[in-house]
Amino acid sequence: MAGNTLYIEKDSSLHRLHPLTKLSVTLFCLICAFTLPDLLWLLAVYLVILLPPAALGGLLRPFLKSCVTVMTPFVISLTLIQGFFTGGETILLEVGRFAFTAEGALAGLTAAARILLALGGALLLMLSTRPDRLMLAFTQRGLPNSLAYIVLTALQIFPSFQKRAQVILEAQQARGLETKVGVVGRMRLLLPLTGPLVLSSIVDVEARAMALEARAFSRPGRKTSLQVLYDSRGQRIMRFGLIVLSLGLIAARMWLIFYD
Amino acid sequence: MIELRNFSYRYPNQTRPALAGIQLKIPKGQFCGVVGANGAGKSTLCYALSGFVPHFYRGDVSGILRIGGREIAQTTLGILAGEIGLVFQDPFNQISGARFSVREEVAFGLENLGLARRKIETRVSEVLGLMRLAAIADRSPFELSGGQQQRVAIASILAMQPKVLVLDEPTSQLDPHGTAEVFEALDEITRDRETTVVIVEHKLEWLAEFADRVVVLDAGRVVMDGPARKVLADDGLKKLGIGRTQYSEAAASAQKKRLFRRSGILPITLKQARAFFK
Repeated sequence: MAGNTLYIEKDSSLHRLHPLTKLSVTLFCLICAFTLPDLLWLLAVYLVILLPPAALGGLLRPFLKSCVTVMTPFVISLTLIQGFFTGGETILLEVGRFAFTAEGALAGLTAAARILLALGGALLLMLSTRPDRLMLAFTQRGLPNSLAYIVLTALQIFPSFQKRAQVILEAQQARGLETKVGVVGRMRLLLPLTGPLVLSSIVDVEARAMALEARAFSRPGRKTSLQVLYDSRGQRIMRFGLIVLSLGLIAARMWLIFYD
Repeated sequence: MIELRNFSYRYPNQTRPALAGIQLKIPKGQFCGVVGANGAGKSTLCYALSGFVPHFYRGDVSGILRIGGREIAQTTLGILAGEIGLVFQDPFNQISGARFSVREEVAFGLENLGLARRKIETRVSEVLGLMRLAAIADRSPFELSGGQQQRVAIASILAMQPKVLVLDEPTSQLDPHGTAEVFEALDEITRDRETTVVIVEHKLEWLAEFADRVVVLDAGRVVMDGPARKVLADDGLKKLGIGRTQYSEAAASAQKKRLFRRSGILPITLKQARAFFK
């Protein structure tokens, strides 16, 4: 894992793909999730486009595990809510005045499948792509370095921020601050805890800005990278194809909405 | 190479200057130690030498500060960073936060300088070896101990091969072994006399071993300046709240208690002490 990210280090062809190729798959899945008409299509895209690369990258187990963990509450809640409240003719179950219908359950499962597809696309990208490589791909295409820096530091600094908050909490407890109190007491605790945290963070920002300057961050001119992003004609064609397909899906969806 | 002429600086909203009328000339390749009590102006001098005063810290500046003929006030920090390296006290805040391994962290400055990838790889490998970081090259910089982080911070600056290396108490968080490693690395990079080193350091025994010259600051002024052997043995250091090396102290005590009659400059290193007490 790199910093506070989901990335899993492996030496696979999926990992070696250009980050923008993987990002285009993610965006394609997202568009599919919102444009495809029914459950079977959604599941087919999930099975055909996401599972084989996950297996190829040696990430099938964490990929499926994350999908199941995140999706279980969605599947249950959406199926129950839609099953009971969407209505329909095929009643599967009756609880008092409420009827659980097959049509409603199907609508719930379809909604859950849309989330699953969007989530799966993003998850595959995050599991197989180091954030700094993704940012490098963006900066090579014109994203300002400072913006890429903000994204990358946010991923790494947050755990350090949590650690510091814990140290401040312990330091205040050592000075006799009672932390096992009710809601009102907890509100009062915020000042002695957040005060030092915010102030020390401001000091840190200044120090880190100086350290960046010492490392020539603001130096004008071209920057290079130790990282190498491999791209190929095949990948460029694939990205172009996915963009065309995505636009086609959006157009088809719009057509169905307006003319059907 | 480094020239300060009547250089003074006062931080914004402060009445007392942090540096007052500094006159210093540090030739190329010299290993210069800076000592002083807290608030003497040591860190401010480091910031001035690396251009953070006046480019980062505003305030009142007067006098001239030139490095390699280049006037610091007229040069941007981005340009200066390629020529003057600054290592800070706090190792945590020197980690860029934008790189995920020690190797990439060391390469960060070189990437900003726009060096070719091959060159970056070569320099990173050299510095990782020099700072004995090769074994942890693939670990996250945030997972390291304070001492290891400081070595990474020093390595990151060394990799940029600055002509002037300014270090502000770089060993303050290191154990004796880590301190030895830092000084040995500094000794190695300054052996060819191409890099000028200015180091603020409280561990006087180490300065005694490696520094050619020691500058003593007090209340923003240079109060002593000369060869390490002479300055670090001076009794005046005690009055300034700095103290002397354990070898000088032992020799001075022996003289005071009339255990020893030898006069002359007191020893400041173990080797000199051995010769002194023989």
